[in-house]
Amino acid sequence: MRHPKPLSSLVVAMALVLTLGQAVLPARAAELWIGAATANITPDKSLPLTGGTAVRVSNGVLSPITANVLALESREGQRVVDQAILVSCDLCVIRPGIQDGFRKHLAGRLSGFDLNKLFLAATHTHDAPVLMQDRYDVKDYGDAMQPKDYVPWMYRQLAQAVEKAWEGRAAGAVAWGLGHAVAGHNRRVVYADGIARMHGNTNDPQFRNIEGYEDHALHVLCFYDAQKRLKAAALTLACTAQCASGTKVSADFWHDVRRLIRQRHGEGVCVLGFCAPAGDQTPRVQVGRTSDQRMFESRGLTYTQEIGRRIAVAFDDVAGVIAKDIRTDVPLVHRVRQIELPARIVTDAEYAVAKKVCDDINAKKTLTKSDYWTRDLYRSAAERYLAQKKDQGKTYAMELHVLRLGDVAIASNPFELFLDYGVQIEARSPAVQTFLIQLAGTGAQHAYYLPTPRAAAAGALDEKPFTNYSATVMTGMVGPEGGQKLVDLTLDEINALWKSPAKK
Amino acid sequence: MKATAAWFLAVVLTATSLPAAELWVGAAGTSITPDQSVALDGHRNLRMSNKVESPITATALALESRDKEKVLDQAILVSCDLVAIRDGILEKVREKVKSRLPGFDVKKLIVSATHTHNAPVTLEGRYTLPAQGNMKPSEYTEFMTTKVSEAIVESWKNRRVGKAGWGQGWAVVAQNRRAVYADGTAQMYGATNKPSFRGLEGYEDHSLDVLFFGDQKDHLLATAVNVPCPAQEAEGGLSILADFWHPAREGLRKGYGKDLLVLGWTGAGGDQSPHLMFRKPAEERMRKLRGLTRLEEVARRIVDGWQDAYEVARKDMRQDVVLRHCVREIELPRRKVTEAEVAEARKEAAKYAGNPAQRWNYRWNQGVVERYEAQKAGSEKPFTMELHVLRLGDVAIATNPFELFTDFGLQIKARSPAVQTFIIQLACDSGGYLPSERAVRGGGYSAVIQSSRVGPEGGQILVEETVRAIQDLWKK
Repeated sequence: MRHPKPLSSLVVAMALVLTLGQAVLPARAAELWIGAATANITPDKSLPLTGGTAVRVSNGVLSPITANVLALESREGQRVVDQAILVSCDLCVIRPGIQDGFRKHLAGRLSGFDLNKLFLAATHTHDAPVLMQDRYDVKDYGDAMQPKDYVPWMYRQLAQAVEKAWEGRAAGAVAWGLGHAVAGHNRRVVYADGIARMHGNTNDPQFRNIEGYEDHALHVLCFYDAQKRLKAAALTLACTAQCASGTKVSADFWHDVRRLIRQRHGEGVCVLGFCAPAGDQTPRVQVGRTSDQRMFESRGLTYTQEIGRRIAVAFDDVAGVIAKDIRTDVPLVHRVRQIELPARIVTDAEYAVAKKVCDDINAKKTLTKSDYWTRDLYRSAAERYLAQKKDQGKTYAMELHVLRLGDVAIASNPFELFLDYGVQIEARSPAVQTFLIQLAGTGAQHAYYLPTPRAAAAGALDEKPFTNYSATVMTGMVGPEGGQKLVDLTLDEINALWKSPAKK
Repeated sequence: MKATAAWFLAVVLTATSLPAAELWVGAAGTSITPDQSVALDGHRNLRMSNKVESPITATALALESRDKEKVLDQAILVSCDLVAIRDGILEKVREKVKSRLPGFDVKKLIVSATHTHNAPVTLEGRYTLPAQGNMKPSEYTEFMTTKVSEAIVESWKNRRVGKAGWGQGWAVVAQNRRAVYADGTAQMYGATNKPSFRGLEGYEDHSLDVLFFGDQKDHLLATAVNVPCPAQEAEGGLSILADFWHPAREGLRKGYGKDLLVLGWTGAGGDQSPHLMFRKPAEERMRKLRGLTRLEEVARRIVDGWQDAYEVARKDMRQDVVLRHCVREIELPRRKVTEAEVAEARKEAAKYAGNPAQRWNYRWNQGVVERYEAQKAGSEKPFTMELHVLRLGDVAIATNPFELFTDFGLQIKARSPAVQTFIIQLACDSGGYLPSERAVRGGGYSAVIQSSRVGPEGGQILVEETVRAIQDLWKK
C-alpha cells in the first residue's frame, strides 16, 4: 500500500496563503457557459455487482446506469475566468485510481481545459459494476464482463459524454434553490448498552434511539440555455442510492428521478444526482416502515419509485419557484486542493482482532464468497497498523474541490461522510446554499466511511465485521479527528471564496 | 331448490358483509380567543397581549363504535390552541360536560394543547400581572373551559354514522433544537455557526400521520393531523395567535371545504421546534420567493403532506373499524434532584425571590428546592399521569402530558403493532419536559432539573406502559 508523503507545515501554510490570495472574484459580470451530456455506462453484458459482502453477478438490467456530465466555464469577454466539469456516475464508489485513470484517458482531448478541474462522483447504487479487479475473488465473476474490461469501456463512454458536454458548452443561465424530500434515514440504531447497529431492529425493548440526525434538504441547481429552457439540473441530498439491491443492474431511485424530471421538463434535460454527506444514512425506513409501505404500495409504486417520486416532486416545486430568479452573470470560481487529514490510528487491540480474522480465514481450506471481502477489510486495518508502527501512513491525502457559483458553494469529499460533518459545513458556510458532494474523486487510497465521535464510540472492532459497522477502524481510514479537520479545511476554502465572516 | 340455495347464499353474504361495528363520528369547533388583553403563556417574561393575529380555537372530535344499539366504546378528543393543559383545566371541563353527555364516561375525554406560545396563561400566580385592564388567568380559564365544553357537547350531539381513514405523509417541520458542542454540552437554540459546534443532538421525525373522518357519502367532516413538533414558530410578540395551525387549517379548508374541522395534535417533540437551526439564508430566500410568511411556509408543508396522505386514504375510508379506548392511571418515578442541582437552584431562587417581575424564574428554581426537600423527607410521591391509548382500525393513538423528547416517541412507534401510531403529547395535564438520557448528559434548558419533573428513567417506564397498553388493544 502506498502512502503519500505528508506535506510540511510550511507548504500547507504557503498553499493557504496562495489560496487566500487567489480568491478574488471577478471584478465585473461574467458570462456562464454551460454544457451537458449523458453517457450510458450499462454494457450489454452480465456484470459482477459491487456493494455487498459477496459478489453478485447481474442477470439483467432493471434500469440503465448512466454518467451525467456538466461542463461549466465562466468568461469575461474572450477571457476564461474559471472552469469545472462535474460528472455524476451511477456507481457505488469511485474506487482508487479510477479518477486518475480517467483523467489520463482524457489527456489532450479537451482543448483549454485543466483536467484537474474535473471530478467524478458516485451515487452509491449497490447494483453497479465492480471497478477493481481484485475487489472480490476473480473466480466468482464467472463469465461476466470483468472489471479490467469494464473500466476501459466505461472510460470510453464517459469520455464521449465529457467531450460532448465540453465542446457543446454555450452561454446560459443558472438558478438555485432548496426543497425538501424525505428520502434518507439515519440507519444507526442505538441500544440500551450504548452499542449501535447499522439497520438494527427498532422493534426491540432494548432500542433507545436513532443515533443522530436526518437531513431532508434537497439542494437544486438548474442550468438553462440562452432561451431559459432547462438544459441540466444538479441535485444533492443526504441519501445514498440504495433502495434496491438485487442481481439486476440498477441506477436505483435516480433512474426514476430522471425519468420524472424529463417527463415534465423535457427529454433532453441532463440530471446529475449527487449524494451529500450521508455515511450514516440510507433510504431504508427505520421506524414506521409498515405505514410507509402501505402508502407507496397503494400508489402502485415500488419503494425505489416512491423515493424517486418524492425527489421529483420536490424538484418540480423548487424549479417552479427559482424560475423567478434565473441569473446569467454569476461568478464561477473553482479551487482544487490536495489536503492531508490525520489518518485513523489502529490500536494494538484492533490490530490483534484484524490479524486473528485474517489468520483464521487464511487457515480455511475453502473460502466462502464473503471471506474474500471480509479479509480484505481486516487486512487493510492490519496493514495500516504495521505502517503506522513504522511512522508511516499517519496521514490521508485527498483531493478537495470547492467551487463558488453565484451564491452557492459546492464542496466535495471522497468519503461516506457522516451527516454531522455535513451539517457543520453547511451551518458555518457563508454561502446562501452549500452543495456537498460525497463519494467524489477518491485518490490513491480507499476512503470508506468517516464516522463521528459518537459513532466511533458505539462499539469496538471485533471478529464480526458488522459490529458497529461503518464506524470501526475496519471501514474507516480517517476517524473523527480527521473528520473535524476536513470540516475546517473545507470551510477555510469556502470562506476564502467569500472573504466574509461566517453567518448563521 | 335453487332458489333456496340462492336465498341461503344471500343471507350468508349479507351477514358476513355486515359491519362488525359501526363508527359514529361527531365534530365541532369553537373560538377560545379572549376579547380582552391577557397574559401570554410560555415565556419567562410577562407578555400582555395587545391584538389578535389569528383566532385560537378548540376542536372536538367525538367517536363512538356501536354494534347495532350496543355501545362498544367511546372517545372525545379535543385539540386546543393553548401552550399546555395546566392543572385543573381537564377537571373543570369534565365537570362542565358531565351532566350534558348522557351515556358518555368523561374519563374518556382527552384534551390536548398545540403549544402555541401566543395563547393565554391559564394558571394564577405564574406572573405578576397588572391590576387592571386585562382578563385574569382564572377568568380566562372559566371562559375557555365553558367554550370547550360547548364544543364537546355539540360534537357529541351531532355524531352520526361515518367513516374513518388514515394515511401518512411527510412534512419537514420539526427541527431538533439542541445544538451539541465539542465539550459535550448541549444548548437549546444554540449557535450552529461556531467552530465548536459538532452536531444536532438527535433525530427529527418528519412523518405526518393523519386521520380522516367522513360521512357515509365520503364527505370529509374532520381530520386529525399529528405533527411531531410544537406550534411555536411565531413565539414571542404580543399577539394572540394559533401559530402554524391557523394557516394550515385555512389551507385545508380552502381545498376541502370551509366547514372542515382540523385537530392539531403535537407528537413527541420536546427537543423540537419549527425554528431553523442552520441553513437559514437558503430557507428564507425560498420563502421570500414564494411570498409566504414563515407560518405560511410551515403550513404549506403540512398541507402538502396531508394531501399526499389523503390521496391514498380516501380510497380506503372504512365504516367498520374497531374503536377501543383504554384509560389508565400510571405512576412514574420523579427525577432525583442532586446536591449540586439543589445548591444551584437555591442560589438562583434567592436571587429572584424579592422581585415580582422575576416570578417565573423564582418559581422555576424554588420548585427544585421544594422537590429536593420532599425527596429528602421521604414524602415525595411519584408523578401520576392519565394514559389514554386508543385503537381505531389499524391506528394506535397514545397520549402523555409531557414535552416528550422524540427518542421516546420513536421507541413507542417502533414497538407498536399498529400500522400507524399517533402520539399526542401535552395531553390531559402539563408534566414539563421529559428529556432523554443523552439530553440530560448534555444539559441545557429543557434537560436540566428545573425543566423536568420526570427524567429518563420515568421516560422509559412511560414507553413500556404505553407499548404494553397498545399491545393489549391488538390482542384478540
